[in-house]
Amino acid sequence: MTALLEYAIVGGLLYGIFFGLVAVGLNLIFGVMRIINLAHGEFVVLGGFGAYWLTSAFGLNPLWGVPLAALGAVVIGFPLYYAIVPRLQRSRDPEMLSFILFFGLAQVIEALVTLGFGPDQRTLPSDALGSGSPSVFGQAFPESWWWAAGISVVAIVGLWLYLTRTRLGFATRAIMANRDEALATGISVDRVSSIAFIIGLALAGAAGVFVPYLQGSVAPGIGNDLTTTSFAILIIGSLGNPIGTLLGGLVFGVGSMLMQTFYASWSNLVPYVLLVAIVLIRPQGLFGKSVRHA
Amino acid sequence: MLKSNWSRFWPGMLVAALLALVFSVAPMGYGNTSLLFMMMTFIVLAQGLNLLYGFTGYLPFGYVGFFGTGAYAAALMVMKLHAPVWAAVLAGPLASMAIALVLGPLLRLSGAYFSIANLAASQILFFVISNPHMTGITGGPYGVKLDRIFAPTASYAAMIVLVVLTTLIAAYFRYSRFGQGLRAMADDPVSAEMSAIPVVRMRLMAWLTSAAVAGLAGAIYAWNLSVFYPDAVFSLQISIFAIVFALFGGVGTVLGPIIGAGLLYALYNAIGISAPQYFQLIYGVLIVGLVMFLPEGILSLLTRRGINVF
Amino acid sequence: MSSEPLLKLSGIEKSFSGLKVLNGVNFDLQKGEIIGLVGPNGSGKTSVINLISGVLRPDSGTIRFNGSEVQTLPSHTRVKAGINRSFQVPKCFVSMTVRENIEVAAHFSGQDADTSAILAEIGLKHLADKSAGALTANQQKMLDLGRALATRPKLLLVDEIGAGLNPAELSGIATLLKGITARGVSLIVVEHLMEFLNALTERVIVLSAGKIIFEGSLEAASRDAAVVTAFFGGAV
Repeated sequence: MTALLEYAIVGGLLYGIFFGLVAVGLNLIFGVMRIINLAHGEFVVLGGFGAYWLTSAFGLNPLWGVPLAALGAVVIGFPLYYAIVPRLQRSRDPEMLSFILFFGLAQVIEALVTLGFGPDQRTLPSDALGSGSPSVFGQAFPESWWWAAGISVVAIVGLWLYLTRTRLGFATRAIMANRDEALATGISVDRVSSIAFIIGLALAGAAGVFVPYLQGSVAPGIGNDLTTTSFAILIIGSLGNPIGTLLGGLVFGVGSMLMQTFYASWSNLVPYVLLVAIVLIRPQGLFGKSVRHA
Repeated sequence: MLKSNWSRFWPGMLVAALLALVFSVAPMGYGNTSLLFMMMTFIVLAQGLNLLYGFTGYLPFGYVGFFGTGAYAAALMVMKLHAPVWAAVLAGPLASMAIALVLGPLLRLSGAYFSIANLAASQILFFVISNPHMTGITGGPYGVKLDRIFAPTASYAAMIVLVVLTTLIAAYFRYSRFGQGLRAMADDPVSAEMSAIPVVRMRLMAWLTSAAVAGLAGAIYAWNLSVFYPDAVFSLQISIFAIVFALFGGVGTVLGPIIGAGLLYALYNAIGISAPQYFQLIYGVLIVGLVMFLPEGILSLLTRRGINVF
Repeated sequence: MSSEPLLKLSGIEKSFSGLKVLNGVNFDLQKGEIIGLVGPNGSGKTSVINLISGVLRPDSGTIRFNGSEVQTLPSHTRVKAGINRSFQVPKCFVSMTVRENIEVAAHFSGQDADTSAILAEIGLKHLADKSAGALTANQQKMLDLGRALATRPKLLLVDEIGAGLNPAELSGIATLLKGITARGVSLIVVEHLMEFLNALTERVIVLSAGKIIFEGSLEAASRDAAVVTAFFGGAV
């Protein structure tokens, strides 16, 4: 029993750190642009299929999927941003319209991935990220899980450093705080936002590389689930702050693993129940400061 | 000036009568009644969604949850209580309204928060009903079988009645004082309160009405299908279709969802069944294009030219 | 028998995330009376308006209106009881025409107010069938006032209606508000513009940091040391 509990907690922490990475891009894009990227999960899926393509077509290590995700984010994100975001920001209801638009985009990506790779589940070579199972507190997890958690921590801390220690990051936070004021102080809002948009997509794609390891496989149809799970994590962890998202991921990860260990058939309820409970009880997130408008 | 007399409502009755006529006559010349039935189902769902989204601005992404609840309420009435068909069908909207009441606090959330939370709620319903541990109660993942009450013609007729009813409700929302109050709330809830409009109560009424429509549709759908798995009535695809169809035609109008559902469901049948990913691609592009260029739906092509759309 | 005041605030307190914006506010307003509510920015004037109109609920204290406590009632119920307000930044119903904006308030309040008369009073009769979204900012302010009038209020709260208006427009509004009080409506006017206030009323309440620091005539207020300190700071 204790061993099972320890197993669930250690696994949940690794799983949760990784899901912090899955969700953090959604948080960044929402924080900066006030638009909800409902295609977020599909970008994660794209990252997974990118890694699958690299391993199956070229025999490369799936970790090359991470730089490929960054490259893909630039190639897709830059034109996508300028094609839709400035136009959306001028519309009568940017939040709701972006929600619907990105939902359409999600359908397009899912259809294209299905056309390109077929609707089936794909896996990555199980030993590509090492075949050992390092253990903590006597709980062994595959090396791929440690890789995923490690890269997630690096990426999230990197994002936090970018936001807090660089000039561009400072400008990004200014836009998060108040877009109009940022514009008035001469910050090039579209340039800074487009970079944040690309970073958000790149983080999603990079997370996708590890989805086949942590979820067992990647398939075109799982994007939607990833989006709602990310949204739940983002809400648990409060908006705007990447470290909050990491904490949100941990809550989700440990909760999920505990459920999977003790009540397996109910574990898929975890993100949804968390989401509904939190938006109703504490809409500013578990770790967010209370924000009110006088 | 807005008059609350019957002259405002005759277009609604006319449209409802036309729909009833078309769907009553069509099976005589066109053999695929299941397609016609599905088309009616989607007209009802798109219109039901429009009652909420088009008139209050709340987009229920988990709208399918009410549909599935209605279907299962009817099914359980038949299987567990051996209830007569009319009671089973009525249980649909009652159950979905009960769920809507429980979810009522979601209406305190704004915009996308509401939509996502509603989606999560519908997923919860789906996971609970389809859970293997629930097999003894709901049939779990193995679905339900209602062959005892199988009656394709009667259930088809019931769906015609629901199409008529939903059209009339939409016409009422569009042309009554109640509907005007809803539009005021959608414009600005604080100013609406200061116009003596009971915002919370009216929003809840729109929410319950919208839920009841989907629940009734689910119950009649269950009756018509008589054998189904949980994902047949809880698939997110159903929400998606209802949203896209309503948006495509134009929300906030009576005709929009009818035209949207009619056209797009026909298109779906022409290309979607054999190659679902191509259809998915098309409606994905369609949604993106709509939001970018025609956010008020195709009927706005008329309103922009000053033509009043019903 | 001394008649009860139309409005009576007792011990009103209100905080936002720990910050106290109103700290024990008490005052009375008689039927037909006009009060000017003044104070530096952030002193809590608009919060007082929001609390009376039900946009906010007080943390503690009572608000009696026309003989009953209203502090827990929702806004729409208070509107029916006879309280209404205009907004500093009005949000009209932009999907409707100007006339419909008035009609909807008249209808839901159950007061069959004369829509045309109100449109004439607020000077928008010629725009009655235009979309409210097409109005200028000043016209929207007037429409917002018209919406309030359509519910036949006994007490009207006017929040900084004068900001951004030229002197001619200001005197027009002063005349309009006097016309409204001539029908027995009580007013609370939040305003920065002292001349405008002077044209309307003798009695002002001065708020500073969530407390009433002065109550009396406008002229006496300008000579009161505490008021002068609150507005201009002690150091000058």
